[in-house]
Amino acid sequence: MSIRQHYFALAVVALGLSIAAPVSAHHSFAAEYDSKKPVTLSGTVTKMEWTNPHARFYVDVKDANGAVTNWELELGSPNGLMRLGWTRNSLKAGDSITVEGYLAKDGSKLANARSVVMGDGKKVFAGSSSEEGSK
Amino acid sequence: MRTTFFLAALCAAAVAFAQAPKGSIAGAVTNPNGSQAIGVTVNAKLAGSTATAKATTAAGGKYTLADLAPGSWDISVNVAALRGFEQKNVTVEAGKATALNIHLEEGTQMSTLGEDTLAAMAHAKRHNAPTGPTPRTAEGKPDFSGVWWQPVVTDPGKPEWLPKAIEIARERTENNRKDSPQAHCLPSAIVRARPLHQFVQSKDFLVEMFDDDSPGFHQIYLDGRKHPKEPDYLWYGDSLGHWEGDTLVIDRVNFEEAVWLDQDSHPHSDKLHIIERYRRPDMGHLEQEVTVEDPGVLAKPWTFKRVAELGPAETIREFMCTENNRDLVHMVGK
Repeated sequence: MSIRQHYFALAVVALGLSIAAPVSAHHSFAAEYDSKKPVTLSGTVTKMEWTNPHARFYVDVKDANGAVTNWELELGSPNGLMRLGWTRNSLKAGDSITVEGYLAKDGSKLANARSVVMGDGKKVFAGSSSEEGSK
Repeated sequence: MRTTFFLAALCAAAVAFAQAPKGSIAGAVTNPNGSQAIGVTVNAKLAGSTATAKATTAAGGKYTLADLAPGSWDISVNVAALRGFEQKNVTVEAGKATALNIHLEEGTQMSTLGEDTLAAMAHAKRHNAPTGPTPRTAEGKPDFSGVWWQPVVTDPGKPEWLPKAIEIARERTENNRKDSPQAHCLPSAIVRARPLHQFVQSKDFLVEMFDDDSPGFHQIYLDGRKHPKEPDYLWYGDSLGHWEGDTLVIDRVNFEEAVWLDQDSHPHSDKLHIIERYRRPDMGHLEQEVTVEDPGVLAKPWTFKRVAELGPAETIREFMCTENNRDLVHMVGK
């Protein structure tokens, strides 16, 4: 078996074994977010913080009565996002978006961002920027 | 004569078994949010045997594991960034289809953008390990310099944790790892496989650099110095390397007490001694064999193996963990 075949075979096996190691794990998200409490928010981006250890952005969400609440959403690390082709300008103040996430366990207006969709349907921060997000 | 009859009976039994009607397992796989999981591999292993099977989910997230021998099968599904699924003892009966629907659950990343399945798949697509011979230094030794992708475990080994270590790991896990050093922008677990890391090697010095962890570098001395008699306790341990042929053997002792040992939250004792053996068999691969000796937490030495691929197009960036670490105030334990 050539070296390349050897490593390909190892990779096929090892992909199943490697799952215990996440892509990046500054902290356990289970410590902060509740997988039983998904939330969907629509509104206008007020700020993007392209900072470590997690990029985060803020959204003004209007309720049925017109009252506005500012939500905080957390992303992965900027280094990880930049490797996927995203930048600090992928999302800007003033953008209208719909974001899905899991609610913070402590009741604060905070969620982790699992999906961010712009008004035109474009997905942001998903997979690789060159693929325009997921299927 | 009796032997011949016995062998003939054995052969007949084997043929009969091979020709016995097969069964199958079929169902659908769903993602944590309930959507269909397409293109996912479902693995099957016959209990007490080396027989395996696999199927890939198609439209509707549906899969069929066909032509399975009757018996108990262990089913598993592993999708990057999600919790691994495992169900043992799924019964397959001759001529019947066993229904098994699989719902994947969130893993530690909880599908956060940039750290989710899509990100893992996108990263995997960037892997393109170059071929070619092992690069060598002016002294003729393998040169480990380069940017390397997260190593993949090829042999996890069989760690035998002592009861105290298991108890501490359980407590930390039940508390959602909220007190992990990494969550406080301190170094992550000693044997954690870094997502992306770079080695820069000179004759006397090997430095590992990374941009997802603090402080961002780890020094390994190759100049023949010895471990100090009065040690300083270090988060990465005192790391000294020497050559055995083309293998770099790195000896690490004197670890800081507060650092965690692995991503399963096990502790270490003051007896921790790690020996790493690095090989670069060709241009594109870095093999690591890691032996963890710690009679304070392990019944016997634990050895695991992993392989990293070269990522020549990648760059290690800057990582200032404490610049905006807002998570601490929100993290809750059990």
